Amino acid sequence: MPLIKIDDREIEVEKGITVLQAATAEGIEIPYYCYHPALSIVGSCRMCLVEIEGMPKLQVSCNTSIGELPPERKKDGKYDMIVRTQTEIVKRERENVLEFLLLNHPLDCPVCDQAGECFLQDYSYKYGRAHSRFLEEKRVRKNEYLGSNVIINHNRCIMCTRCVRFTREISGTNELFVQARGDNSKISIFEDKSLDNLLAGNVIDICPVGALLSTDYIHKNRFWNLEEKKSICTDCSVGCNILVYSQNNRIFRINARENHSVNGYFICDIGRYGFHRYEDAEKVTSPLIRSDGGFKPISWEGALKEIYEQFSRSKDGEKHQIVGIASPFHTNESLFMFGRLMDNIFKDKSIIGKLPFIEDYEIHFDSGFRISKDRSPNRQGLLDFCLNLEDEILQKVKTGKVRLCYALDDGVDRKLDEEWESFFKSQRFLVVQTYAMTPLAKLAHLILPGPSPMEREGTMTNDQGRIQWLKPSVSLTNKTRPDWEIIMEFMNTVGKRELKYSSVNEVNLEMGERFPSYRGMTFFKIGYQGLPKKNIATSRPSEGGQAGNTVT
Amino acid sequence: MAVFKPILTRYIHRKDSHTLSGYKNVGGYKALEKMFKTMAPDEVIEEVKASNLRGRGGAGFPTGVKWGFIPKDSQKPTYLICNADEGEPGTFKDRLLLSKAPHMMLEGMIISSFAIDCHLAFIYIRGEFYQEYKVLEKAVEEAYAANFLGKDILGSGFDLDVVIHRGAGAYICGEEMGLIESLEGKRGWPRIKPPFPAVEGYLMCPTIVNNVETLACLPHILNRGADWFKSIGSEKGSGPKLYCISGRVNNPGVYEEPLGILLTDLIFKRGRGLIDGRELKAVFPGGSSSAILRADEIDGLQMDFDSLSAAKTMLGSAGVIVMDETVDMVSVCLNIARFYEHESCGQCTPCREGTTWLVKILNRIYQGKGSLNDIDMIFEITDNIGGLIDPEASGGSFGKTICPFGEAVAWPIRSFVEKFEEEFIAYVEKGVDVS
Repeated sequence: MPLIKIDDREIEVEKGITVLQAATAEGIEIPYYCYHPALSIVGSCRMCLVEIEGMPKLQVSCNTSIGELPPERKKDGKYDMIVRTQTEIVKRERENVLEFLLLNHPLDCPVCDQAGECFLQDYSYKYGRAHSRFLEEKRVRKNEYLGSNVIINHNRCIMCTRCVRFTREISGTNELFVQARGDNSKISIFEDKSLDNLLAGNVIDICPVGALLSTDYIHKNRFWNLEEKKSICTDCSVGCNILVYSQNNRIFRINARENHSVNGYFICDIGRYGFHRYEDAEKVTSPLIRSDGGFKPISWEGALKEIYEQFSRSKDGEKHQIVGIASPFHTNESLFMFGRLMDNIFKDKSIIGKLPFIEDYEIHFDSGFRISKDRSPNRQGLLDFCLNLEDEILQKVKTGKVRLCYALDDGVDRKLDEEWESFFKSQRFLVVQTYAMTPLAKLAHLILPGPSPMEREGTMTNDQGRIQWLKPSVSLTNKTRPDWEIIMEFMNTVGKRELKYSSVNEVNLEMGERFPSYRGMTFFKIGYQGLPKKNIATSRPSEGGQAGNTVT
Repeated sequence: MAVFKPILTRYIHRKDSHTLSGYKNVGGYKALEKMFKTMAPDEVIEEVKASNLRGRGGAGFPTGVKWGFIPKDSQKPTYLICNADEGEPGTFKDRLLLSKAPHMMLEGMIISSFAIDCHLAFIYIRGEFYQEYKVLEKAVEEAYAANFLGKDILGSGFDLDVVIHRGAGAYICGEEMGLIESLEGKRGWPRIKPPFPAVEGYLMCPTIVNNVETLACLPHILNRGADWFKSIGSEKGSGPKLYCISGRVNNPGVYEEPLGILLTDLIFKRGRGLIDGRELKAVFPGGSSSAILRADEIDGLQMDFDSLSAAKTMLGSAGVIVMDETVDMVSVCLNIARFYEHESCGQCTPCREGTTWLVKILNRIYQGKGSLNDIDMIFEITDNIGGLIDPEASGGSFGKTICPFGEAVAWPIRSFVEKFEEEFIAYVEKGVDVS
């Protein structure tokens, strides 16, 4: 392995990586604009110039790879390369490049969405000049729409061409190009082909300055007001890693988060803008009971009492059934509790099913980015934890005999067809656990308010078997309670258990105890990047058979 | 030294010099026959290396050495591109060869292709050269018909196809990496090196880009040997060279002389001095990208790569532009700056932003609204785009852009202000209307 020296630090690096990569990995900052690890290297911004011993001129660190020198040619007897990032000449170069970049820049940080997370701003403070020597009039251009969700502010653009390369190399859609030449050049689209592919929103993320703006977020907030939460997307079973930005429990935007085992550097627009559909939905924030054709709020105690009464109302000698409808939109922990409720408490009285999976086209980009055809986030978890899942529940259930139907709602994406609607309508007592007034919730006799997808916490298993933590981006409001907790209360009420999990982590531990492939998948173990599920065949937990009696 | 007889342009006065028969009548395609019969590709490369032939496009890189950079174990095909995108202001030598001696260049291309094992070669011709393109097209047709191109050339088993590609009017596409991008159908933005084109060029395959004049030298090297070629010119550079003389001389045109001829001889003997007997004021020795020389700097100056480099300018494309005493240097400087502003591809920050800034400042000075500070700013900005001409003084601070365009802007403009500062000051002090 080559040994190099950057400033006064000795670093052993992998052969073939670039100076910029080596420095960044070591925590030495070299400023850059046009370089992006997912894109090809153009070396055009000239910001990352460094001094390399033995080279006649400054080198762009993004395109200078480190090799191994034969022993007799090593610098200072042992180094394969000596890099200097803090010399006078390097500092002067950065100053000069920044001066050029700011010539026509409007310096409108006070109204710019990027302010606070802008590389032009940051580098100008760190490396730039304090004043401008440009006496001429600035070049002014109007903002333009590049696509229905992307606006460009040409005045702020520094022509790093990250966005152009993105549409060529990652989305493969080629909408963006550089129009005209020299100082007249600008990022543009062809008249008949706007930037409207499913990955379009990423160009806003990768724009190092405030040139590319999202119509969804423009002028809505300032970066420093926003709280950043690391989470995962729940709009398909890929489980892309995301950053959710919110203020006062309101989500403002979602950006991609790097995870090379899942989504690389990018997310799709379905996930990026998808959170609005939760805002638009009519939220359920308190237990509701059907009354006079409508719903009226009741307390949690009242709701649980109602469930108990419905459950214990027996007709003499008649066998009864409990129907459970599980959902692939819920976390592993909730599904684990749900499976436990059905299998261990109701046992053979229960029948557990699911609505048809929500599916769409599988979308595959040549760059490897993928949008799964399975548009629910946790089908794998559902199959892992609800072991007796009945596929043809509509045929198997004898409606007249069902005492209670307990459904975890899929949420706003779920539409009910006639068959299912009449199935739910015919239930004697339908309990729906949901966060919004969905078509299913409207059929309920009792609605239990759970968290919306952005409020949930727990693990999700994506379609590659990777377990990732879904972290709540906003906190629970009003009388809503975590899904696992509601199920726990259900168990305590109906099954006379005394479960007292105080957090999802405790449920997670219990889940690991019973399902070996999930053992030890605590947040502290898998962190924000997730881990693959252990390769242990899922079988019915050994203690499951008598769980009704022994496990509390 | 014996009297120099033109080599490349010896027969171009003949009416049929551009035809196959005309070229064959004066010994054309003989080198090819000799090569196929007696030489291996490596021997051709060695011969060219030994001849000390340096690229005629501007940078003056040794041709044989460049060929040697092609990886030996590459599984990819190799390509040759003839750079006929002659766009440097004051340069019109390739145009002459393309219209009068296209077969000489084609023969050179076949030799070069044989040496580097290329079976598909391109000619990237400047879009404005329409007449030349027609001539070239005809010449390629003739060469195919006579089996100098195509399959199994002259029974040697060597195949070569040649494709002519017309440019669309961008100066930057004469830069080899810009040219390659353009040929690939992309925007003519120079690609960052490394990798160099000899390793990853056209379609990421090993590619050699040679200038028209360079290629035209090859048949003569093979015919008469490397030693003969080396004997022409001075030690610092050998072979014949086409010099383009333009501007205020009595006899402008293309002249073939050995490398290393005195600049004064070119201007006063071949160019027959300045018009109306005026005084020489300044001269671009190698196209508008070279730093200008004042009249008092050219005595005894030899026109070769190293001598001009020592004089802090360059031979470039040998486009000698002569300016007399009546020429307004501020106006010329502005003109040159405008050209580079217009032709900057816009990829690298310093060149894209800097050229425009320079034009704006020069314009202001020209309109009599400048200040003395502006003159200092020109020094600074040129330095920030392309660095200083003097590598020692610049302390490694040159080469700030992907391609040499940065230097091509910075050096001439800086030289104007450096060498004729008093004229710029006069503009600043006198204000509007200075003639």
